Amino acid sequence: MTSSRVDGSPLVDTNRLLKRYPSVTAIDNLDLELEAGVIGLAGANGAGKSTLIKILLGLMPPDAGGASIMGLDVATEGTTLRQRVGYMPEHDCLPLDMNATEFVVYMAEISGLPRTAARERTAEILRHVGLFEARYRSMAGYSTGMRQRVKLAQALVHDPDFVLLDEPTNGLDPAGRDEMLELIQRTGETFGISVLMATHLLGEIERVCEELVVLDGGKLVHQGQLARFTSNTETLEVEVEGDAPSLAESLSRSGIDATVAGQTVLVTSTEDPPFAMIRDAVVELDLGLIRMKQRRRMLEDLFRPQQQSGSEQEAAGEDAGV
Amino acid sequence: MSEREAGKIYDLGYQRYEGARLGRGHAVWVLYRESLRSAFGLGRRAAAKIAPAILAIIAIIPAVLQVLVGVFGGGEGMEVARHDEYYTLIFVVLVLNVAIIAPDIVGRDQRNRTLSLYFTRAISRADYVLAKFLALVSAMLLVTLVPQLVMFVGNAFVADSFTDHAVDNLDQIAPIVAAAVLGSALIASIGAAVAAQTPQRVLATVGIIAAFLLPHVVANALVESIDSLSARLAIFISPVALIDGFTSWMFRVEPERVVLMADFALETYALGAVALAGICYAILLRRYLQVAP
Repeated sequence: MTSSRVDGSPLVDTNRLLKRYPSVTAIDNLDLELEAGVIGLAGANGAGKSTLIKILLGLMPPDAGGASIMGLDVATEGTTLRQRVGYMPEHDCLPLDMNATEFVVYMAEISGLPRTAARERTAEILRHVGLFEARYRSMAGYSTGMRQRVKLAQALVHDPDFVLLDEPTNGLDPAGRDEMLELIQRTGETFGISVLMATHLLGEIERVCEELVVLDGGKLVHQGQLARFTSNTETLEVEVEGDAPSLAESLSRSGIDATVAGQTVLVTSTEDPPFAMIRDAVVELDLGLIRMKQRRRMLEDLFRPQQQSGSEQEAAGEDAGV
Repeated sequence: MSEREAGKIYDLGYQRYEGARLGRGHAVWVLYRESLRSAFGLGRRAAAKIAPAILAIIAIIPAVLQVLVGVFGGGEGMEVARHDEYYTLIFVVLVLNVAIIAPDIVGRDQRNRTLSLYFTRAISRADYVLAKFLALVSAMLLVTLVPQLVMFVGNAFVADSFTDHAVDNLDQIAPIVAAAVLGSALIASIGAAVAAQTPQRVLATVGIIAAFLLPHVVANALVESIDSLSARLAIFISPVALIDGFTSWMFRVEPERVVLMADFALETYALGAVALAGICYAILLRRYLQVAP
């Protein structure tokens, strides 16, 4: 990743942040400190993701506690702070009777750019999001994917240091989703802009984020580096056609730690996986070898049990390792 | 080039923006400019331009007729329209104009849910309200001040001597401008306060028309049928009467019958107009300070 634009202060810092709605506590005494980077904010619907983003942007005041972004207080330095951030809301927010260029130029000017600079940067950013050819067409004729790109473009046009994206892949088909995630990744890596991406889809965070924050019921249930969490484990999955238990037995006799799980034999080793021995054993037993792969820990492994336990403090450790 | 290729991402490198970042004043100006443009359908499809254009034309017709009568009738004979009674003459146009334009200037961002984009930029909600209000006042000036100025200049051209006529009637300029500004501000504040309450365009339009007509009807009925101070005070809720009152005061002429019957000093109508505009502006501001984008 390129060097961060945020120096010194944490990207986001919240202090016992509290927000209650009449029927539910959306943010429950949240203490969160994030460093610059591409951060995934995960949680089920209603976990408090959107509320947190809205409080950070000053769209809604917290009931108690405080927050700062890049060292600027959300409550008292909002105007200064909002020159340096971009926001892509979850909901529709485009005036469809305008064309993309007019709209993005307008948003750039509102953000403080002089007209000429606003026009130049609009052309550039619309090229970046892949809308250059369609930039003078009315947005009424845009597909959902194109509209999502305009929403991203308006969040980036004034060259912010930090963008907050609320469910950026909402309503996109698989291809559109891939393209949007690629764009977000580029935003972080190539542009050097820090990203906080809220989503209820863990797979998306796995693809683009460096760090993961999980909220549930307005509380922090997990925070940690993604790479360490999803690195390879010491378990090799060997999927076979035929008598799996006999393979496990054969491997065990050779001193290999092997257990059976359905049609898969799980081989655990602290050193290099014993590929040759497994292959030979499979041939000897006349089984069909379907695949061998190093097992990776999945985000779901982390998310589910902790959602059930709901104990935020022990999970809020610095490491994703369980 | 196929649709697929057209959507491709070309990596030409990303440029940081190191240039000037202008402050809130600039943002308010841009918001004002764009709101005014959208009100007249500029940069929008042709259909959006029709209604404001028709109303602007109707508003200016009496002024043009007056000038034409001067040209063909020879000199200053017949009177189609006078400066002091112009707004009473075109009042329906003024109300329709604000009823069509206010839901666009004020309600549009709520309809499109664009507010969250504005409020996460470097302006305050009060800045936003100010820009929108000024845009609506400017849109009203097009149908209040412009016809008056056309009539003033036109009458001067028709007169025997342009300079003499202009100089003789120079004292009309101050009331023309003052009445246009106060009238536009009053009408705009009422229209904006109503339009801000709903993203629904039709509802806002109907609400605005009602906000002008209902108080007018109620005030007239009370003043004409009940002879008591509290009933006569009802005249101050009627925007029509307020405009008639302060315009008559500014031009030093006699007002319409209802305002005469209410029997208050004419300058109090100017105060009443400022107060009502202030209340409506406060309602507008309050709405945007509270609305969850």
